[in-house]
Amino acid sequence: MEQIDNMLARPKRYANIDGLGELTAGIMCLGFAFFQWEQIRSPAGAVWHSMYLFAIYFGALIAALHYGPRAIKSRITYPRTGFVEYRKRGRLWLSVASGALAAAVSVLIWIAVRHHWDMQMGALIFLGIAPAYAYRFAKTARWKWAVAAAIAVSSLAIAFISPDSLVDLTGDARLKPFVRFAGSEMLNLAAVGVLTLISGAISLWLYLRHTQPPVQEAQ
Amino acid sequence: MNPQMRGIAELDRVIHEPGRLMIAALLYAVEKADFLYLLHETGMNKGTLSSHISRLETAGYVAVEKTYRGKIPQTLLSLTETGREAFKRYRKSLKEAL
Repeated sequence: MEQIDNMLARPKRYANIDGLGELTAGIMCLGFAFFQWEQIRSPAGAVWHSMYLFAIYFGALIAALHYGPRAIKSRITYPRTGFVEYRKRGRLWLSVASGALAAAVSVLIWIAVRHHWDMQMGALIFLGIAPAYAYRFAKTARWKWAVAAAIAVSSLAIAFISPDSLVDLTGDARLKPFVRFAGSEMLNLAAVGVLTLISGAISLWLYLRHTQPPVQEAQ
Repeated sequence: MNPQMRGIAELDRVIHEPGRLMIAALLYAVEKADFLYLLHETGMNKGTLSSHISRLETAGYVAVEKTYRGKIPQTLLSLTETGREAFKRYRKSLKEAL
């Protein structure tokens, strides 16, 4: 029975066999971090604070993260180890759960900003990424538990950074309240982004090493 | 015959064979997958996998769709509704029997 359950779980794990799931998550986090970094170090009237750039930047990022992995999968993964189309049922509860999670995080951020718990609350939110990463990715390979641990440790380490050191990054006094939280978020996003990117790159390298390029014949 | 023994006797023999059970379990979790994916996941050779798929197709459990990915022929496989029901029944019967 356990072997059947294991077989049923294999297609889900196959989604990240090439590390593209982690690479996508890493690029997304670094993309967000880069945007926040530019917002922190730019004066209040700079283009990085305009809604137009926000929409264009994140529109382009989301489009690249949506179509990029698909293109790579169809050129690298599917010809090597096969194509899988996943079932679309049961997405409603996922949307509801994501909405509830986003609402909870927004409330936490609001409380954090009101009480000046910026760094600690940012760390608490990102500490939740470690178990999420472990659930989503670490099941496939033991070494990925080390990445989950590194994510947790980096969030805790960032919690101990003084918010004032981040405020010093900006010369614009009007941005200081924003920087206290955004700076913590940026550091956490950058740490998670770098770690998942490294993990994804190692997974992709191992995948390419252990699979053969396709031969031109019927599959 | 006690109910447990009857449960074992009534297990679907088409699915019960280990190779076909692997194929059914893999296809149950997805919408569709190609031949190469099943080859990679099950570790069977092409001939064995083909014969198991033919058996499942004859039983009406698997639908086979021949298509192309670019210029390369591709065989897409999916469980039919009958196949899904049969696999669900098989799991339930096995759980009860164990």
